[in-house]
Amino acid sequence: MIMSKRSVIPFGPQHPVLPEPIHLDLVLEDEKIIEAIPSIGYVHRRLEKLIDKRDFKDYLYVIERLCGICSFMHGMGYCEAVERVFDTEIPDRAKYLRMIWCEMSRIHSHLLWLGLLADAFGFDALFMQCWRMREKVLDMFEASTGGRVIFSVNTIGGVRKDMSKDMLKGFVNEFNSMEKEIRRLTDVFLHDYSVETRLRGLGILTKEDALRFGAVGPMMRASSIAQDTRKTGYLAYNDIDFDIITSDECDGYARCFVRINEIFQSINIIRQAVEKIPDGQISVPIKGNPDGEAFVRLEQPRGEAIYYVKGNGTKFLDRVRVRTPTFTNLTSLINILPGSELADVGLQILTIDPCVSCTER
Amino acid sequence: MKSIPLEARLIAAAIYFIAAPFIGGLLSGVDRVISARMQGRKGPSIFQGFYDIVKLLSKQRNCVNKIQVMYLGSFLFFIIFTGALFFAGCDLLMIFFSLTTANIFLAVAAASTNSPYATMGAQRELLQMLAYEPMTLLTAVGFYVATGTFKSAEMLTQIDLPAIVSLPGVFVGFLFILVIKLRKHPYDLSTSHHAHQEVVKGISTEFSGPVYALMELSHWYENVFLMGIVSMFFINNNPWSILWSIAASVIVYLVMILVDNTNARMKWDNMLKNTWIATMVLGALNIFILHIFK
Amino acid sequence: MRENYKIIDISYSDITDIMLNCQKQGDRLVQMHAVSIPSGAILYYSVSTGDNEFVTYKTQVSDDVVLPSISSIYPNAILYENEMKELFGVNIDCISLDYNNRLYRINVETPFKKPAKEGE
Repeated sequence: MIMSKRSVIPFGPQHPVLPEPIHLDLVLEDEKIIEAIPSIGYVHRRLEKLIDKRDFKDYLYVIERLCGICSFMHGMGYCEAVERVFDTEIPDRAKYLRMIWCEMSRIHSHLLWLGLLADAFGFDALFMQCWRMREKVLDMFEASTGGRVIFSVNTIGGVRKDMSKDMLKGFVNEFNSMEKEIRRLTDVFLHDYSVETRLRGLGILTKEDALRFGAVGPMMRASSIAQDTRKTGYLAYNDIDFDIITSDECDGYARCFVRINEIFQSINIIRQAVEKIPDGQISVPIKGNPDGEAFVRLEQPRGEAIYYVKGNGTKFLDRVRVRTPTFTNLTSLINILPGSELADVGLQILTIDPCVSCTER
Repeated sequence: MKSIPLEARLIAAAIYFIAAPFIGGLLSGVDRVISARMQGRKGPSIFQGFYDIVKLLSKQRNCVNKIQVMYLGSFLFFIIFTGALFFAGCDLLMIFFSLTTANIFLAVAAASTNSPYATMGAQRELLQMLAYEPMTLLTAVGFYVATGTFKSAEMLTQIDLPAIVSLPGVFVGFLFILVIKLRKHPYDLSTSHHAHQEVVKGISTEFSGPVYALMELSHWYENVFLMGIVSMFFINNNPWSILWSIAASVIVYLVMILVDNTNARMKWDNMLKNTWIATMVLGALNIFILHIFK
Repeated sequence: MRENYKIIDISYSDITDIMLNCQKQGDRLVQMHAVSIPSGAILYYSVSTGDNEFVTYKTQVSDDVVLPSISSIYPNAILYENEMKELFGVNIDCISLDYNNRLYRINVETPFKKPAKEGE
């Protein structure tokens, strides 16, 4: 198969390095990749179409099921968009609660990603430890929302569950102790010789290319573009002090670096949010049916996500649209693949942190 | 000069033939438990390897083509042959070339399936052989320079000091290639120890059921043989040295597990570079110095 | 506080010019999508400027219009355009990687498209 002539290796959809089905036709010359042609559509569920059958309140539970990892963010993005159509402002406490859960989602998503990355370059011990850390975050989710994957804690007009002062303090203490352990883990990612040889120079995406291919999230920030949708100040991010984490190295190592630092940033944001959280109501009632359209942008763990909602005055919305980060990062992926070796394909796919089921909806 | 009688050598080879699968299986079980503990898991029973083999043997025989089984059978045969030669105290050069032959059969078995991942695994296996072959040769030569013979049985009876004393460089160089031979990280390129990684088990992708059981069995034989080579470094003409040479090879195996669990998988160019540097610097230099001072 | 954004109505014939302009300014394409209306669709082209400001260009096309692809300007438009074409039946020409309505591997033709009103 792999002689000096060109050959096509099918990569996926059921490749074990991929957590979810995506297919790449890799055109190879020896072990060098000349071209990569992606195809998706293996888990397309046409959830956006379901808006014809479910009213806008029920649809919240559909949209949470777009993806198991950013489920909270999806629900929240949809709620924010519908609230924007209604022109309702949610109570401050609800904003802070949403923010805390968002950052917890980011921590567990990044830990999951670190684990998958370690698994992809064959570092089993590291993989197990990362996921063990992630489990603690899921335990906190379970304590606060009742769910570990799908939380259903958002509602249009606020959130459905409150967190007591003790619980929030407990979370902060837990994160404080976790921070040291996570630091020990991430030091391996950043300073281990064998890990560095695999990540340095992997899948270089220059600043110009990142803009042209529309890379978002850590992928973009690792190519030294300082854009973070959280800085647009949705929820209560304007009250929080944080910097955009960027790296100039543009390679796999940089993406790893950015995500690792975002974990610590998120812990810091949670700490600040717990200190500043105001008392008060957690939701406001919503009356009537949505009419009009609204966009909402927010920063998911994988990058910027866009929610669009268009209502027509009935309880059924005209259109819901979710643009997930992976959908746009795929273009960057197929452009960083050529020129690399087959051994690096799995790793490169992972550096964009693909979430195929949100991509296909 | 006393020598070991032929009967004793044949008995040693027969013991290897019968006992190696059990020792190899236990070794793999211990490996799995210790790896699991290093990763913070409990791990399976240390007999898991045997359970696996029994289950694999009970499965339906399903292979890509008939020739594949023949090649794999040859692999098993030559591995056993290699080990038997070694424990019968034959020529080290002969032993290492027999081992190479065995591995070529494995690569051919994988390549004969035409599956892209198995072919890639076979290709990488050949690359790995390229990487470790110089060092195996130097090991044989090193033993010769240190003891004056290529025959492992004669080494056993002739030397007063264990070979490790005069061959520390060769020993460390051999550890480098042992990582490749035991299919441990960072150099498990051709198989990717877990089936969910880059080459999807590579060379063994297309083997299943009883055929795969044969392959596992061969690896157990191979591992025991490799541990035998390691103990060769520690043995001398004192019969009790057998005991502590076994202890030494157990320690080496533990070190291998540790290396396995603290490294990411490298790419082939890196493997070639590192192993050849180790071969050149440690192996060749060691033998060179030995030549001068002898 | 919520993010402010602009929605600018444009004519569909200006799309390539506007997108080319955006690309020259260093904006990035953040999303494109369609909303079905009877016998046509409303298309949204959103870009984000260098200061991360969100600007959306909105245009209306009818079924018989053939739109030029912007995938040569913004390579990441391919997936959006294939999606519009497959799900909404928007005619887009010259997409640099055209999946020919097989992006999502569905067996229904243009499922999101609204049927034309009777009498039209």
